[in-house]
Amino acid sequence: MRERRVAFALVLAALLQTPAFTQTASVLQHGTSPLITFRILFMTGSAFDPTGKEGLASLTAAMLGEGGSRSKAYQQIVDEMYPMATSLNWQVDKEMTVFTGTTHVENLDRFYGLINDMLLDPGFRQEDFTRVRDEAVNFLKVSLRESNDEELGKEYLYNAIYVGHPYGHHNRGTVSSLQKLTVADVRAFYREHYTRANLLLGLAGNYPSGFAERVAADLATLPAGAPDRKRFEPPPLPAGSRMAILTRDTRSTAISLGFPIDVNRASPDWPALAVAVSYLGEHRSSNGYLYGWLREARGLNYGDYAYLEYFPRGMFQFTPDPNLARQQQIFQIWIRPVEVNTGVFTLRAALYGYDKFVRDGLSREAFEATRQFLTKYSNILTQTQSARLGYALDSRYYGIGDYNSYLRGALAKLTLDDVNRAIKQHLARDRMQIVIVTKDAKPFQDAVAKNTPSPIVYNSPKPKEIMDEDAIIEAYRITVKPQDVAVVPVERVFQ
Amino acid sequence: MSLRRWLVVAALFVVAFVASRYGHAAGDATSRNLFTYPYNVDDLPNGLRLVTVPTDYPNLVALYIVVRAGSRDEVEPGKSGYAHLFEHLMFRGSENFTPEQRDAIMKRAGADTNASTNQDRTTYYVVFSKEDLDEVFKVEADRFQHLKYGEPAYKTESLAVLGEYNKNSAAPTQKLDEVLYETAFKEHTYAHTTMGYLKDVQDMPNQYGYSLEFYNRFYRPEYTTVLVVGDVTHDGALELTKKYFGAWARGSYEPKIPAEQPQMESRTGHVEWPSPTLPWLAVAFKGPAYSDETKDKPALDLLREIAFGENSDLYRRLVLQQQKLDDLGVDFGNHPDPELFTAYARIKDVKDVDDVRAQVLQTFARFTKENVDQAKLDATRSRMRYSFALRMNSSPAIAAALAPYILLKRTPDTINKVFELYQQVTPEDIRATAAKYFTENNRTVVTLATQAGTK
Repeated sequence: MRERRVAFALVLAALLQTPAFTQTASVLQHGTSPLITFRILFMTGSAFDPTGKEGLASLTAAMLGEGGSRSKAYQQIVDEMYPMATSLNWQVDKEMTVFTGTTHVENLDRFYGLINDMLLDPGFRQEDFTRVRDEAVNFLKVSLRESNDEELGKEYLYNAIYVGHPYGHHNRGTVSSLQKLTVADVRAFYREHYTRANLLLGLAGNYPSGFAERVAADLATLPAGAPDRKRFEPPPLPAGSRMAILTRDTRSTAISLGFPIDVNRASPDWPALAVAVSYLGEHRSSNGYLYGWLREARGLNYGDYAYLEYFPRGMFQFTPDPNLARQQQIFQIWIRPVEVNTGVFTLRAALYGYDKFVRDGLSREAFEATRQFLTKYSNILTQTQSARLGYALDSRYYGIGDYNSYLRGALAKLTLDDVNRAIKQHLARDRMQIVIVTKDAKPFQDAVAKNTPSPIVYNSPKPKEIMDEDAIIEAYRITVKPQDVAVVPVERVFQ
Repeated sequence: MSLRRWLVVAALFVVAFVASRYGHAAGDATSRNLFTYPYNVDDLPNGLRLVTVPTDYPNLVALYIVVRAGSRDEVEPGKSGYAHLFEHLMFRGSENFTPEQRDAIMKRAGADTNASTNQDRTTYYVVFSKEDLDEVFKVEADRFQHLKYGEPAYKTESLAVLGEYNKNSAAPTQKLDEVLYETAFKEHTYAHTTMGYLKDVQDMPNQYGYSLEFYNRFYRPEYTTVLVVGDVTHDGALELTKKYFGAWARGSYEPKIPAEQPQMESRTGHVEWPSPTLPWLAVAFKGPAYSDETKDKPALDLLREIAFGENSDLYRRLVLQQQKLDDLGVDFGNHPDPELFTAYARIKDVKDVDDVRAQVLQTFARFTKENVDQAKLDATRSRMRYSFALRMNSSPAIAAALAPYILLKRTPDTINKVFELYQQVTPEDIRATAAKYFTENNRTVVTLATQAGTK
């Protein structure tokens, strides 16, 4: 608890810093690049959706980024952006809404004129509303439920963990709530939340002298407003582990598991857990413990990774998008789809491997290698101007200063004991939330209720140590009570 | 392009550049060049080519190794998917480095390393901090020349490939593409996707011997270009390339890729999808191969944006006004052989499928008869220039943008040549090119819908 209070105080302190020349809070990274990057951030998001109007924050951002302004229809904006090859992109998470765009400096005035108009004088036309709402509904109903079992499982895990919490719905809303929303709802959300109090301007590149001041002054015409600085508590999750099996007609089985943690980037234990989780399963790296154990040694699937922060769209991206900062995060393991007949074995193997990792911690050698990796890898995470700017905005939110310097400094001071203590302190073994996407729930139900063994047959001989370990794994107890297994037909998810 | 002609062109390039070494200065303010970074091209006697692009982005280096082996080269029946399988096997250890040793080196270097495969190429990359240049070169060079994997590791890795097939299989578009390509191509290897047929992927564990043969054929210096972009010097990169890749022996294999015979009738296909989804429509015509010398491909590249891009008349009508689609896209990549120009549409309501198909077909037909608007053409040229310039936002991004062109012509200069052709294309060129390729007999239409939505 102590850590979280410190973190929250830091967030407040960071948000209250404002440059002297204007009322607009900003992070400016003037540089030599002819590409000018905007990140215009509002500290609001889907956690501020009114009850029954889930998806409103997201739809409001879509109306600004993919809708017309008062003076220009959306088509006219698209036409004007076209020769510049630019667009205004939007992203909504629980506590952050960001608009991003990059233009060549030769087109700066034209591009800025358009986005200024879109953000400060939106048109809120009914035809734009109908289109972006249909797009949101189809995203949930078709793209997520029916075309991407991995993202489905990952997003449902958050829903399962945050039941009854402001984080408890998908950022895009639910199918039924979206259908009830109106343009009037969007206008009201915009008025209340798109305010100076919530704004943080990010600008980078070789923009001309006086340009940042001009943008800041324009944005200062937004209403002053009151900041959305709500304190979000950990989710009210009952004790014990749970399993949700989402059933749909699919040829493989996707698995996600995790639980809430009391640590975010501002917490003293974050660097220690970052080392632990990178060792366990760095995103899309063949270097992680789980990857080596499940994919390389056993060929069970395409990859296996672990996370300390929300990382949507992980199957399409090698590095995370910035500006997804949250007070509350979860620890998560992502097991990529496996053959249906190895689903239960893989789940048991993941749980066994995780338990072993928590019990044994890191060796000195693994600790040193992972620390060295993370020290250099931050250069890769921040390789583009847009990423550097995004990380800087997030650092303002968390109150940690420049991300790379912060991480390098913290890693240099870290000890093996810090990491292994943080694992024991923060990584639970008794409240794992498990989400399965598969066509047949029964093998999982049987494994839970009767501890039915799930032996595995390989297509090639395996070393003795793997066979010995497998003999334990095939009957490894999944510590979920039968009454805590829910079978959910996919059409009910995000409904 | 016929096979014979392709070989002639390839041979000309070899002759022109043997033992050559040339450099290019950064473009000045008056240059119309799009790729303005200075670069060097060096050819080793064994046929390997090095392209070095020093940038002013500090610390990072992107090492891309592009091998001219893709699913296009998979000519034997039952052996689809092996170029992609190799992308996996290359991480299973070499004579001087076990997978664990390689992983440890990459981990110490804080490296981002991965690979990808498409129809025409396999691309391996490592992005890392400049102080690890020598060690990364050494470990990379070893696996290209001395890959070593036993049969058990091979069998395990082939299951990871099946895992990849599985994770893709939830998306209806994977199946749509499988059916589209096998309907459109009857002789050429573009008939199968890069993942390969499921039955071939399932048979991979039994093909250890064939996998060794595949490596022997394609993992050779004459198939390979090393691209180094970032905080490096030309001399430093050349020295390491000679040191670590200089002893690599040239091979002798050339795949006999069957030329696709001209299509003589319009073709259709349909996929019945087992679970709920929105219907998809794909309308494809065989288009020209990549060229930086003739205007056919550049003309259709421009038309692709004009006819189907986000401010095309069709997009405006179907997505914004009638709102019958929530997705309209085009795929028309750069390939060494003629491939498909495909418009894809995701339709919101199954009752609109026929109408959407008619509107898409009318759009193709329209541009065979009408010249595009000159102002729209100029705006599209501008868009393509800025779109390319906006991608150049880091050393890895520059390397990623260059790699596909490196496969095609082995030099960044092809980018400037092809963008120069964009400047020369006229509205009449576009109309004439559309009329040449968008004919009924050259067309393949594939739809996908759930059983209830299938007529």
